Order: sequence, then structure tokens, then C-alpha cells
Amino acid sequence: MKKAAYSFPEEVLEHVFSFIVSDKDRSSISLVCKSWYEIERWCRRKVFVGNCYAVSPPILIKRFPELRSVTLKGKPHFADFNLVPEGWGGFACPWIRAMAGAYPWLEEIRLKRMVVSDESLEIIAKSFRNFKVLVLSSCEGFTTEGLAAIAANCRNLRELDLRESEVEDLSGRWLSDFPDSYTSLESLNISCLGNEVNLLALERLVSRCPNLKTLRLNRAVPLDRLPNLLRGAPQLAELGTGAYTSEMRPDVFSNLAEAFAGCKQLKTLSGFWDVLPSYLPAVNPICSQLISLNLSYATVQSPDLIKLVSLCEKLQKLWVLDYIEDDGLEVLAASCKDLRELRVFPSDPFGLEPNVALTEQGLVSVSEGCPKLQSVLYFCRQMSNAALNTIARNRPNLTRFRLCIIEPRSPDYLTLQPLDDGFGAIVEHCKDLRRLSLSGLLTDRVFEYIGTYGKKLEMLSVAFAGDSDLGLHHVLSGCDNLRKLEIRDCPFGDKALLANAAKLETMRSLWMSSCSVSFGACKVLGQKMPRLNVEVMDESGPPDSRPESSPVEKLYVYRTVAGPRLDMPGFVWTMDDDSALRIS
Amino acid sequence: MELQLGLDLPTIHDDHHNHHDSIECCELWSRGIGFSSSESNKKHVRKKRSFEDYAFGQCSLNKTTLPLLVWSGHPNEEEEDDSNNGNIHRRNIHLSNKNEGEENHLVGWPPIKSWRKKELNHHHQYPTIIRNNNRMMQATNHENQNRSEETNSLYVKVNMEGVTVGRKIDLMLYNSYQTLTHTLITMFAKYQNFEEDGASYKLTFQNEQGDWLLAGHVPWQSFIGTVRRLAILRNEK
Repeated sequence: MKKAAYSFPEEVLEHVFSFIVSDKDRSSISLVCKSWYEIERWCRRKVFVGNCYAVSPPILIKRFPELRSVTLKGKPHFADFNLVPEGWGGFACPWIRAMAGAYPWLEEIRLKRMVVSDESLEIIAKSFRNFKVLVLSSCEGFTTEGLAAIAANCRNLRELDLRESEVEDLSGRWLSDFPDSYTSLESLNISCLGNEVNLLALERLVSRCPNLKTLRLNRAVPLDRLPNLLRGAPQLAELGTGAYTSEMRPDVFSNLAEAFAGCKQLKTLSGFWDVLPSYLPAVNPICSQLISLNLSYATVQSPDLIKLVSLCEKLQKLWVLDYIEDDGLEVLAASCKDLRELRVFPSDPFGLEPNVALTEQGLVSVSEGCPKLQSVLYFCRQMSNAALNTIARNRPNLTRFRLCIIEPRSPDYLTLQPLDDGFGAIVEHCKDLRRLSLSGLLTDRVFEYIGTYGKKLEMLSVAFAGDSDLGLHHVLSGCDNLRKLEIRDCPFGDKALLANAAKLETMRSLWMSSCSVSFGACKVLGQKMPRLNVEVMDESGPPDSRPESSPVEKLYVYRTVAGPRLDMPGFVWTMDDDSALRIS
Repeated sequence: MELQLGLDLPTIHDDHHNHHDSIECCELWSRGIGFSSSESNKKHVRKKRSFEDYAFGQCSLNKTTLPLLVWSGHPNEEEEDDSNNGNIHRRNIHLSNKNEGEENHLVGWPPIKSWRKKELNHHHQYPTIIRNNNRMMQATNHENQNRSEETNSLYVKVNMEGVTVGRKIDLMLYNSYQTLTHTLITMFAKYQNFEEDGASYKLTFQNEQGDWLLAGHVPWQSFIGTVRRLAILRNEK
């Protein structure tokens, strides 16, 4: 058969491909045929690696020689809650070194939950002439010295975002290392820094960068400096304030209000540490234009929150503490008809008694009043099947639903039954649900619902739930699109895991801690599935010093083309083909 | 495929389902500190069952008992917190790499990021709110208001048979055997003895007179009044 000759030269195909941006689509193109694979890989500019151990730097570089943007994620999600011990891994250095050699024109590096050293930052600063974007999300391991290197050397830097990273803040001096000639800053997020930065340098930087759209300050920036900063950047679209407290002086207030009023483009607000309620109304001039409001550090009471929120008619995203209470959420439901995302955080998560009048009713109100609500994260202390049912029926358009009932294994507080039916209603009605976190008293039945209805579910978080392996089996066998499964303190063990071993190759990762998976099963899994890394974490000693039937402390399984990793600390063991334990 | 272990999949309507599952459950849990129903001593069936119910998460008892979440600082280095009696210590939860520590709380629960917890700590140390409504008057931190006036801490040592390292817990943070047992299960789950035949355990306590008794038979308040030490012992067969 005559080989089909392409009537289009490569350049045309390349041009066509340049309009395909989503990773999934790019992947699909590359599978069409060999020549498309080749063309695609040479013109791919952006890559997202959801698990840095699923692939290695050489493999990445070999396939994609011309990248401009790389995103890497390291530690498992549960690392956010201290379930992953120090030293586990996620080291950025090997990647950065390799990329420094291979991609001199790299422009963007985005890292999440990785360990980044000052040395890595220095390499970035010196190696990429056109470097534009550095996002370090929930990273750690570096100091302000590394930041100084970035500031001093990256002439074309547009974005420096340190969101939620743990930075050893040695001094605020680093900010002054941006040269006076440097004017290209568009986005700066230093909200995680502990110390004061050089405020004059900050003011000068802000006022000389005409394209600055995002500025998220840290707590140490005092409120009385904010008006100046705002006047220097009236084009700001996103602002994170510093500490929002000051002596109550009328001139501070009016200065602030005036400065806010001058920011006609300001759409996103965050910060508000230590907020003094009487200063909140300073933002009133811009409330009607706000689409995103993060008040999750604002320890103010419901009445003050209500006053603010009721003015934000365009609000799409609200993060708030449970001080808002049911009353406040009712006002939210009535005022903010465009709301897409709500996160309610607990003000006193470790208290033994409820300290606020926030119950399931608040969430029900919002589900009734906000037709566009898609994404929910809600901490509360009581829930009922009836409420969950109502929420599910009200909002079948939910795509992310994370409910945390603070006390583990809490039943329906009205009927004392498990919450299986409630969550079942959520998965049944919300057909596009992609992310779900469970809590409360749950039996295997909820997992049967999830396996049956959760066809679009991509990420599931489970804690203190289920009765037996059947629960895990339902999820692994039923959820066709499952990518990430994280489980803690559930009676799930070997049977379900081994029976669904093949499923694990279709997922990014599986985390199981304080469950009933035996060491023997982990070994079997590791031996039989060479394309999975089966990592056992045990801080009390090598698992082979105990019987095979003994449960492992933590299990992290992920698919990989890079083989077992070589940078594991002493408390992590990989179960691999040669069935001898390899401890690196 | 070799890995299919012939998992039996009874449906929800299968009458044997629940029984089947709970047997499986027993096997799984009895490897550790679970309380096996198959070994229940008839004399103590009632109390044993309540421990099991907890272990299997089927407890549907009245939730007016204290929440399971025990948030207590390291009893050996009790923090001086002037504004309360030290019942609740605000600290970041860190999983230590060293030998187990002093955790008698749930690591990583509720699932709140560490930097957010730090913010909460910061706030609770320097409170700025005065709540003023008809629900609760809280002048300072949201500490354990109900208890701080009346009670002090009651730290007792807990030892588990076969485990060299003992723990200490503050019994004033619980108000029922269920909550106490649940915490103990969590605390000692990592020290399971890995017997093939599975082991079940009982909770015993030493009273003021120095006698060792099986826990769970006296009302909680009496128990609190007389308990000096706790021990988790394996059941002899």
C-alpha cells in the first residue's frame, strides 16, 4: 500500500500543533503516528509532570528537547498534613541541573511540594537568559539568599510566586537586589515570608513596574504602608495585604480607603492578617468589582464578615473562616449569585467543643442560593444525610466536594446512621464530580456508591472510613477516571490491592497509611508490577525485620517509567523485581 | 491474571454480606490491637463489643461524648499557658522521625496545612476577638472553656504488654471509655504484636489501692476518681 504522503510540510503541521495547548490533546496528537510524534515532540514547549518520580530528567529531555516551561510536583498531597516525614524526597536539584544544561531558553519553572535548595535557585538565576516565571508552591529548603540570586540575575523575570513555601527568612534585604533597571515584574507573591522586607525597596520596585498585576505581601508589611504601595500600582488586579491592623486613626483609614478606590482593576483580595474590624470597610469602594476574596486569616466575627460579603455581588470565590457562621453563609447565598467556589476553614480545629454557630445548614444555604457553585471545601462539626442529599440535588454541577467533619467517624447527627447515603447522593447527582474528600462515619456502602456513580472522579481522599477490603475494591474497580487515591486509617488490606493491581498503572498514585496492607502484599505488588514503584515507609525499622503479614506504616505506589528511585531516605524501601529489599 | 485472588463480592442485599464483612474485619483488625469478637469472653461480652464497635467504626452511640480528637501537648514538657489550665496545647503537629513521640493526638487530622495551623496558633496566642452573643461567651482563646474551670489534667502512664516504651495521657480530655479506647488504639496501633493467630487485648487499670482491675465496669466518673495507671494486656486464651 502506498504510504500516505502528507500534503502538508512539517512546518504546517507544527503551526497547527501550536494551537493545541492542553497536555491531554498534545499526548493524543503524539500517538497518531510516528511522524506526528516526532513533530510534536520537537515543538512541545510546555510540560506538566504530576509526579517527578514518574519520569526522569534524561527521559524528559530526550523526548522534549525544546521546552520553555516545566511544571513538576514532588511529594504526595498528604505531605501537606505532615504525614510524609522529612527527607522523603522530591528534590528539585537534579531536575534543575539537567534543565540548565539542556534548556538554555527555559522561561518558566513551576514546582509544587518539592525541596529546592539555594544552590538550585542560583543555578536557575545564572542558567536561563530569558527566565520569566518562578513559582514555588508549598516548597521548602531554600532561604532568602536563593531569592537574592534570582532578584539580582533574572533580568526578564515576570513572576515570582512563593505561595505557601517554607522559606528560611534570613533577611529582607534580598528584595533590594532587583536592579533599578529592572521593570518587568508582573506578579510577586511573598506572603509566606516571615520577616520584613525592605519596605522602601518594595515601594520603589512596585512603582517602577508598570505591568505589576499581582502583589501579595507578607504579614510584616504594616497597614500604613499599604496606601503608598497601592498608589504606586493603580493597575493592580490582585492584592494580598499585610497585617491589616493599626492604631485606629482616622487618617490611616481614609488614606487606605482612598488608595483602594484608586485601584479600579482590583479584583482579588487576600491577606488580612490580624484584621481590625473597623478597618474592613476601607475596601468597600472596590467590593462591587471583587471576584475573589480570601479572608481565611481574617479573625473577625460574622456581622463584620456579613457587611463585607453582602457588598460583593460579583464574587466568584470566597475563602473564609467558620466565623462566618450559618447566618453569614445565608447572606452570602443571597448576595453572591455568581459564587463558584467556597472554602470554609475551621478557626478552632483542635477545640473539643464547637466555638462558632456553623453547621451543615450554612452549606445547604449556599447550595440553594448559588447556582454556579462548583467547588466546595467545608470544615464543620456536624452533618446529616438529609443535608448532603439536599446539597446534591441543589447542585448537580459540583465538580469538587471536600467535606471535613472534624471529629473522625461522626455519624449523621440526626439519625446516628453512617453518612453513606448522603455522600452517595453527592456522587450520584453530581455527575461531573472530579474531586471528593470524605469524612464522618462511613461503611463499605459509600464506596459502593462511589464505584458505581463516580465515573468522572479523578481524586479521592478517604480517612477513618470503611469496614473491609470491599470498600477499596469498589473504588478501584469502579472509578474509571481515578488518578489519585489517598487513604489513611481505613481497614483496607491486601486483597483489594492485589486484585486491582493493574488499575494502579492507570493512576498517578496511591497513598495508604495506617491501613492493613501487609508487607508481604507490598512485596508481591512490587515484584509483579515492574512499572509501579511500590514504596514502603516505616520509621520504626526495616519492614523485613517483622513478619510478612505485619502491616506497613505507609505505602505509596505510583506508576513510573524511570524505575525505582535512588534518592530514598533510610525509612523508605522500594519493593522491586529482584525481591531483595533495596535500601538506598 | 495471577493477582486475582478471587475476591468474593457479595452484594449489599446479600444476607451474608454483613456477616462476611465483619468476619473479615475481625481478621484484619485482630492482627493488631483490635478486639476480636471470636475470642470474646462471655463474661465481658458487653464491654468488649463496645471496644470492637469502635475499632470497626460502627459506633453509633450518642455523640454527646467528647470528640475523639484529643489534642494534648507533650505531657512531659507541659507548656505553661497562663490563660488556661494547660488542657489544650496549641502546637504544630509534626511527625517526628525519631522514636515515637509524644503524640497522643491524630497526626495530620483535621487536614489543615501546617502554615495555616501556625496562623491559628498565632491567633490563639494573641487573641483579638471578644465574642458577644447569646451562644457563647469566650473572652480569650477558644480553649477548653467547659473544663478549665473545674478540672486539672490527670496524666496517667499507659503501658502496653510487650512494648517497652510507655505513654502518658491526660484522662481529663475524655469522658467515656469509648473515647479513651479509641485514642489508645490509635496510639498503640504501631506497636502491634504480629502474631499469626491474632491477639486481642484488654484494658486494665491500677486504682488508688494499688489493685489492678479490668477497665469498663465502673462508671466513668468513678474510674477517673480512682485510676492511677493503665495497662493494655494481651488476652490469655
